[in-house]
Amino acid sequence: MAELSVVGKSVIRNDALDKVLGKTRYSADIKMPNMLHAKVLRSTVAHAFVKKLDVSQAAALPGVHAVLTAKDVPGLNGHGIIFKDEPVLISDKIRKIGDGLALVAAETEDIAQQALKLIEVELEEIPGVFDAIQAMDQDAPKVHGDSNILALRKILRGNVDEVFETADIVVENEYVTQMQEHAYIEPEAGIAYMEDDIVVVKASTQNTHFDCREIARNLALPQSRIRMIQAPTGGGFGGKLDISVQIYLALLALNTRRPVKLVYSREESIITSSKRHPCVIKYKTAADKTGKLLAVDVHAVADTGAYSSYGPAPVTRLAVHAAGPYEVPNVRIYAYTVYTNNPTAGAMRGFGVPQIAFAYEQQMDMLAEKAGISPLEIRLRNTLKNGSLTSTGQVMDVKGNIGDTLVPAYEKVMANKSQLLAPYKKRGIGMGCLYYGIGNTGQPNPAGAFLDVMEDGSAHLMVGAADIGQGSNTILAQIAAEELGLDFNDIKVTSADTGVTPDGGASSASRQTYISGNATLKAAKIVKEILVNEIAAWQRVLPEAIALKNKYVFIHSKQTDIAVAQLIARCRGKGIMTIGHGWYNPTTEPLDDETGQGKPYEVYSFASHVAEVEVDTQTGQVEVVRIAAAHDVGKAVNPLHVEGQIEGGTIMGVGYGLYEEIKIANGNIRTPSFATYIIPTSMDIPIVDTIIVEENANTGPFGAKGLGEPPLVAPAAAIANAVSQAIGVRINSLPLTPEKVLKALQEAGRI
Amino acid sequence: MSTVKVNFILNNKPVSLEVTPDCRVIDMLRENLDLTGTKMGCGEGDCGACTIIIDGKTANSCLVLAAQLDGKMVVTIEGLGSYDKLDALQQAFIDEGAVQCGFCTPGMLLSAKVLLDHNPTPSRQEIMQSISGNLCRCTGYAKIANAIEKACGK
Repeated sequence: MAELSVVGKSVIRNDALDKVLGKTRYSADIKMPNMLHAKVLRSTVAHAFVKKLDVSQAAALPGVHAVLTAKDVPGLNGHGIIFKDEPVLISDKIRKIGDGLALVAAETEDIAQQALKLIEVELEEIPGVFDAIQAMDQDAPKVHGDSNILALRKILRGNVDEVFETADIVVENEYVTQMQEHAYIEPEAGIAYMEDDIVVVKASTQNTHFDCREIARNLALPQSRIRMIQAPTGGGFGGKLDISVQIYLALLALNTRRPVKLVYSREESIITSSKRHPCVIKYKTAADKTGKLLAVDVHAVADTGAYSSYGPAPVTRLAVHAAGPYEVPNVRIYAYTVYTNNPTAGAMRGFGVPQIAFAYEQQMDMLAEKAGISPLEIRLRNTLKNGSLTSTGQVMDVKGNIGDTLVPAYEKVMANKSQLLAPYKKRGIGMGCLYYGIGNTGQPNPAGAFLDVMEDGSAHLMVGAADIGQGSNTILAQIAAEELGLDFNDIKVTSADTGVTPDGGASSASRQTYISGNATLKAAKIVKEILVNEIAAWQRVLPEAIALKNKYVFIHSKQTDIAVAQLIARCRGKGIMTIGHGWYNPTTEPLDDETGQGKPYEVYSFASHVAEVEVDTQTGQVEVVRIAAAHDVGKAVNPLHVEGQIEGGTIMGVGYGLYEEIKIANGNIRTPSFATYIIPTSMDIPIVDTIIVEENANTGPFGAKGLGEPPLVAPAAAIANAVSQAIGVRINSLPLTPEKVLKALQEAGRI
Repeated sequence: MSTVKVNFILNNKPVSLEVTPDCRVIDMLRENLDLTGTKMGCGEGDCGACTIIIDGKTANSCLVLAAQLDGKMVVTIEGLGSYDKLDALQQAFIDEGAVQCGFCTPGMLLSAKVLLDHNPTPSRQEIMQSISGNLCRCTGYAKIANAIEKACGK
């Protein structure tokens, strides 16, 4: 590949300047003349029938302009990413704490709050179900319909039972993982207003085009009458894929014909937003005496809470990745998505894979011990490589294997092993490996891009991809600039605005660099072809001899004095439009309903984390001393951003491994604040050694794959393995709290 | 509700305002003065997104009443630098990749500013302590600490 000028460079992200100056206007910062303030009346019980909902007193309060209930939803009273099972406003049955019952728009927040208190509600509480395994019982209270089992994903290959009868080594364990909160620092917020007959909603979101479709359906308006704009978004991590304020705001703006703003409190954010699925995973692995894997038998139950959200999708991804980045000829995976009256679980960075990695990676260490080989050796011996079959029967088309990330990460930690100071402290090293499919699982998930390249050599790139802080606007501008031979600063990006940009799909599934990147590249290639044909005819050379680079035209690799801008102007002057559009949809095959066989992803990222921990055997406290994180990203379009994703995701994974936990009692979140839900602070972080591996993907833009989620997948698994090495006992439940460590030590008679 | 008059210096300019006794500094800044660079992440003093500087010390502006500012010197992110003249910390945050979603950035910068005002050559540990009241969910803190080190010439 020719040397690149913009891709591969750590250019400064295009939104950084406004952000350091405090000039960026997030949703809550937007003010409009005549603006009203909205509040939501929410259920404080988990399961109940609504017997009476009288808003007349609230509506009569001076300063109140609208009080809306379910009957005021003109279209479908339901939304949801996969199934429309979550009412916009509850009309009959409450299914979780936080369900919306009524909306108020008033002159001030105080008046709106007062109005909420004037709404009369009568409920008939009914027994709820708060445990996913109990919810699978036929006699359990039903959340929806006549079964709480929302989905079962099966992946079946080979003959598992036969193998387990004869295998040399069998390891069987049960693993339990907790509910995790995204904890973006910006709570959900937005504003809506009418622009002629268009309902404009501007909000913190990860997917404007999905939001637009939902709002249109609820309001019974054409999608073209809804303009959904992403406001600068203060983090998402999957939690802003679901609808939060968008439909409420659209209803209120349409009803009052005035701008309406709604900002969630932190507590409201934690109570209402989706979470990472808590899972119970029974995991059984068979290997031969050399440690070669023969079969896995996995039974996973994921608590998806009261509404489906993305629910079955992370659980499907969990199942697809259940064998880890290893060759396993025989698999039987059953993964259940189960309704309860708990908070909804949906998409969160890693999408089911951190849960299953916690299981499969501990299994690997236990198998290694039985086979008498090292944790490193068993992983290298079983790695997926080119030509390997995955659990879904997909033939891997890769250049390397897990060793490309595992070996450098392992060496980094071994080279920096530190000395112990106190005899009651124990140190250990553990590893966690993964492969991760980029994009949605076995489903169409296209993204589009529009490109307008102008006479002065600047260009406007319009993409649906939402930049939620991960930097997609910067990455996509780099890709366009590289292809057109322009500077990064020549590309102005407009993103995630249904009035302007094509659908980019969700900023999820680690997909935007790869999918919107490919769409952007296609749009740029169209313009480039126009430019190259023009210059080739003009200079009487073959198009193949032309290159556009560093703002100049090159012929036969020699720079000319013709600027790209001059060439664009020449085309435009002749009436040739230098515009392009592109879209990309990765080639996948859906998973078979019965066997789970198929080709779920076009490309996979690989990664390995190696952690060194120190366990205080007197307090049970686990400290991660160092964690090396090696990621094969295909091509690092912006290495500084890649490091940022790896460091941030790794620390989120350390929090998941050690202390983050949404605690629930009867559907009630007991940790609805940052005082009770603990995320890592600057004082809690280990050294993170970032190692970037670049095994270019043939199908990626300039070889790039995806990166957003993989850093969060392995830390908890690596830490669990390191703790086991340190203290000689296994803990099969996340997070690895001091209480669990001490209990495990006591049970093993070690203290 | 009755109001109280409060006089203070905000970003080097005198300000005189009538506020209600229960008005928090964060609301006065964001609503009365339209200085929305100060962010609200929790409203309970847990996240540090609303950090400002009062008389040379950091404060969570969601936990301070506006009336308490009388006679004080206050700095918000709007007073740290401008497009024409960035503070060294702001430039370093940009250069070192310390900004992702940016929601914690104003508070983070002001905590770092107070550190450097009192201790121009902090250790890594002192840097980490100075921002320990500011939650960031995107970066994992290392690049923020790198930026602060760079700003003090390390």
